[in-house]
Amino acid sequence: MNTIKMEKDHLLHKWLNNETTPEELEQLKADPEYASYVQIADASSGFEVSEMNSESNFEAISNKIKPVRQLRKSNVFSIVWKVAAVFAFLLSGYYYTTTLDTSVKTEIAQTETFSLPDGSEVVLNSGSEITYNKKKWDHSRELSLEGEAYFKVTKGSKFSVKTAEGTVSVLGTQFNVSARDEIFEVACYEGLVSVAFNDTLLKVPAGNKIQIENGKLVINKPSENLSPVWLADESSFENAPLLMVVKELERQYPINVSLENVDSTKRFTGTFSHQNLELALKSICEPLQLNYKINNNGAVTIETKNSK
Amino acid sequence: MKEPENVCNENTFNLLYEAHGKPVWRFIYFKCGDTAQADDLVQEAFLKLWQNCAKVTKEKAKSFLFTVCNNAFLNEVAHTKVVLKHSKIQTDRTNFHSPEFLMEETEFNEKLKNSIENLTEAQRTAFLLNRIEGKKYTEIAEMLNISVKAVEKRMSQALATLRKEIGNV
Repeated sequence: MNTIKMEKDHLLHKWLNNETTPEELEQLKADPEYASYVQIADASSGFEVSEMNSESNFEAISNKIKPVRQLRKSNVFSIVWKVAAVFAFLLSGYYYTTTLDTSVKTEIAQTETFSLPDGSEVVLNSGSEITYNKKKWDHSRELSLEGEAYFKVTKGSKFSVKTAEGTVSVLGTQFNVSARDEIFEVACYEGLVSVAFNDTLLKVPAGNKIQIENGKLVINKPSENLSPVWLADESSFENAPLLMVVKELERQYPINVSLENVDSTKRFTGTFSHQNLELALKSICEPLQLNYKINNNGAVTIETKNSK
Repeated sequence: MKEPENVCNENTFNLLYEAHGKPVWRFIYFKCGDTAQADDLVQEAFLKLWQNCAKVTKEKAKSFLFTVCNNAFLNEVAHTKVVLKHSKIQTDRTNFHSPEFLMEETEFNEKLKNSIENLTEAQRTAFLLNRIEGKKYTEIAEMLNISVKAVEKRMSQALATLRKEIGNV
């Protein structure tokens, strides 16, 4: 029964789609229920429905389109603005990043040699940082330094190294600047260097070095070295407080030094190597009558010889 | 390969109006039963087509129009009855039948007309698209964005409702 109904439904839909043969239609009409469907459907096709007024609607559409067309033009204009805005943004981004300061930094037991835009050479000692601006370099050779660095400046306009302690300016020379804690040290190896600190302006000729502690000149005398000793993997001190020596040691070796019963203001004059910790400790402790102990976790203890 | 033609060209747009304006109008009229609303919706659809002309290819324009109209219709709340005019077949047949038959047929048509007007929107649209516009189920399915099976169901339901309303004839 159900399958017959399904079959008839199928036929009905086929007829509604105009796909039946006359025989199939007769078959469909044999059932009074489906015959009435056919009659209803047939009669329905005869009805007329309102037609669209093609012209009036087209006119209405055209009228609506016109302002849109004008709007589209201003859209194109706004796209131009958008593109311009993006370019402006990119340009300002480019300008910002290129005018940003360049900085070079070294970690413990690491030195870095690099060139500045004018060809001047810089060797940066361990645990130091140099900041300069590539864009402005052409009209002002100026950089700031924290720590220690050796400069080989090509001849040209004034070359300035700014530190927290003072400013070093030159025209073209080789010199070393060390600005660590309160101690500011400048050694000149070629040419003439002028050092400004507090309100004083000091000229350091080739072969001389000066040391400023807490804004006071403590050393100003000829140096026997032709280039900074740290370039030869050594650290050299002249009448320096032990604390400063220990700090330098900690910068050159990955160690932690603790002083026990030792006067940290004790003065040290001498050199230690960056290659051998044992040797370096010996060179510091022997002349000062100190003992040292290296623990396996990288900690070093320095104590007075006669404390035991 | 040629790039698919979009409808930004004014001539293309006018041809599309010629070809699809009336069917789209009918389609939407079957749905809403209001000529003024149908006018609005059709104008809206063609306006949208023009605004999006760069994105719509010539081939896609037809379904774009139907979809836009359908969506616009779904957004409108007011649904009114379709007003059908009297059958034209009626006049053809007058010559061959007795006055009683004519009476009967007029009565039948009147009943049928009222019943169609009272069908649900879904049934009515499918039924009239098939009966008056002569659309095949596949075409109706595409326009209404439903399956062919769903069209079949709506047609069956419409016929059953009409038969019940009119009474066994």
